[in-house]
Amino acid sequence: MDRILEIGGVAAGYCGRLFVQAGCEVVHVAAAALAPSEHSRAALDLYLHAGKRRIQTDDRKIIGELADRADIVVAETPTAQELTALGFDDWRAPVKAAITPFGRTGPKRNWSATPSTLLAMGGYTFLMGDADRVPLTLPGHYAEFQSGGLAYVAANASRLAEEENVIDIGMFESVMAMSQFTTVLWTCAGEIRSRHGNDFWYAAPSNMFRCADGWAYINVTPGFWDAFATGIDRPELVLDERFKTNAGRVANHAALREIIADAFAPLSRAELKARATEHRFPLGELLTFEEVLNDPHLAGRGFWQQVDGACSRVASPRCGWRIDGAPPPPLAVSEWERPRG
Amino acid sequence: MADGPLRGVRVLDLTHVWAGPLGARFLADLGAEVVKVEAPMGRGPRVFPRNKLIGGWVGGGPGDEPWNRNAVFVKLQRNKRSVAIDLKTDTGRATFLQLAQATDVVIENFHPDTMPKLGLSYDVLATENPSIIYFAMPGYGVEGPYSERVAFGPAVEAMSGLSDVMGYGPDERRNTAMALMDAVAAVNAAAGLVTALRRREATGRGAFIEMALHEAGVSYCGPWLIEQQLGNPIERLGNRHPGMVPHGVYPSAGDDEWIAIACRDDDDWRALCSVVAGLDPAADFTTRKRDRLEIDNVISGWTAGRYKNGAVCTLQIAGVPAGAVNTTPDMLDDPQTRERGFFVPIEPGPTPMPGNPIKMRGISSADWTPCPKLGADNAVVLKGWLDYSDEQIAELERTGVIVDRPPQ
Repeated sequence: MDRILEIGGVAAGYCGRLFVQAGCEVVHVAAAALAPSEHSRAALDLYLHAGKRRIQTDDRKIIGELADRADIVVAETPTAQELTALGFDDWRAPVKAAITPFGRTGPKRNWSATPSTLLAMGGYTFLMGDADRVPLTLPGHYAEFQSGGLAYVAANASRLAEEENVIDIGMFESVMAMSQFTTVLWTCAGEIRSRHGNDFWYAAPSNMFRCADGWAYINVTPGFWDAFATGIDRPELVLDERFKTNAGRVANHAALREIIADAFAPLSRAELKARATEHRFPLGELLTFEEVLNDPHLAGRGFWQQVDGACSRVASPRCGWRIDGAPPPPLAVSEWERPRG
Repeated sequence: MADGPLRGVRVLDLTHVWAGPLGARFLADLGAEVVKVEAPMGRGPRVFPRNKLIGGWVGGGPGDEPWNRNAVFVKLQRNKRSVAIDLKTDTGRATFLQLAQATDVVIENFHPDTMPKLGLSYDVLATENPSIIYFAMPGYGVEGPYSERVAFGPAVEAMSGLSDVMGYGPDERRNTAMALMDAVAAVNAAAGLVTALRRREATGRGAFIEMALHEAGVSYCGPWLIEQQLGNPIERLGNRHPGMVPHGVYPSAGDDEWIAIACRDDDDWRALCSVVAGLDPAADFTTRKRDRLEIDNVISGWTAGRYKNGAVCTLQIAGVPAGAVNTTPDMLDDPQTRERGFFVPIEPGPTPMPGNPIKMRGISSADWTPCPKLGADNAVVLKGWLDYSDEQIAELERTGVIVDRPPQ
């Protein structure tokens, strides 16, 4: 198994988390100060750093020595020049992955960034929120997690090919690369994709609706229209000229939304879930984090991974995939170690 | 096809919609030989309905082969090959089984019952090829109470818990309405596949890998799920941030133009104060948090009279994290994307497509191939992988088992 050295913040930490899940030995090196996160340090440690050795240092000599002994180094810095200053180019690890906001080249390589500025520049923020209001940023660490995942893919591909390589991941590009149909809507249809609140807009009905005990989101693409109308006891909608095509449903979305709101209002989330399952249309009930933690489906599938911290034991989500049904092993967050040269 | 570290890795890609095709495309961009196995009607009928497509047509219009020009589809298929084969026929199924003997990976995102009903379950394929890696991406997993449910990204997002924190405020929850979890699952898929390939390299064993769209989404929400267990507050904060003040999206000159600005620490704050008049550089985080609304008003007053790119440059020169809220034309014109060649005019038009976010030695978009036409590589793959003769291929074409255009 590879020895991984992971240096930096959330993106490198996520990459290291995937290596831990794959059974690798991971050493996490962090300076004392990290950029503020929406999450507490304790939560990030439990999620990102369980199963790793942890060394707190910003001593470049020590970091360089650790890097020279690693098979893969994943290093994240706030700018490209800070990566260079850290000594990245001198490290002798066969595979080195750099994660920076804008990549190691280009006129913005040393621009300052946060998750919200990256989402804005990468085209996500303009799409989220209500049409007549300020755009909404996405909470969490999307740009970092996706970039960390891509660094993991590239590093493993290099090791598989037994190639030495240097990988350059720019988080700005990671966001732009995952643009659904936003880019082609402009380049091929001449339209700028815009935001419409909870309405997916391009396929109707797709929106969030209140029900008797909460909310549910439906995403009824054209192939599911008939099943949906039947499933909510409104089979007459299928014959309604206004709603016969997706284009018609989009054009008449306000009227359709009203009909669906009426249909959903008396139904519970459980009832809606049962109908969606029976009639096979896409519906997700809005769950709180507490409800997700108590979801019988996830529990029944052995989704949670036990992680022990200094003062707490939590159920952490396993990584997205499972190989041959293997359960995730319990992990612990280790104490910080004193640097050793 | 692209060259890269995954050269020599063969992938049969049966995925559709977004998460699966994007995950497979990441592998293709890194050099894997990805063969898209498509149903004869997989790209739609020969005569397309005149309805407007969500993403338009590459090349500006439907042309003579509209099924090959759906931009949303095309965007996800570069560097792949296409074999269009009817798996519902005995001969088609038998041919696929032979391909499965010659491949390293099969990836699909069907309902859990689909492949078994075709007689192409993992157990069947593993009998033919014990070292095969079978990657299944069912919406809610192959088993469990929700396994029969239909999954799409926006609906799964609701079940991940994200709406607990996404929105304008406590009573205004929002969904991203952009199938966020598909993109999360795509990266998970590529990551899971390289994990399995390396495991096979070490052990010689194939594998059945399962990656549910739902679980990828819940995993993304991991830190909040842990906060919940730690008893820490979780709030729906709009564009605010618990650890950064100011942190927001501010109006700029023009119609629906905006700038995102955030101060990570006191240094960023002082840099902001050097640009925006009326702010107190001595204000610490606690003070800024208390005076958040007033600070936001001052910043909005400054940004509202300035065009976003100029304002952002001014802020960045001072060292303030700031970014324009970009649309697609903004991104295409961005000096950073242009210098790094991020958008690649690979498809007809020429139509620039978002490039590979992985940059590394030995890979380049110079050797990329555009989305193949339906069934364009039937003969190349059947000859190259299975040593089929021209006569065998002609017979498959004659009987409609393989096609290069949708049936009449």
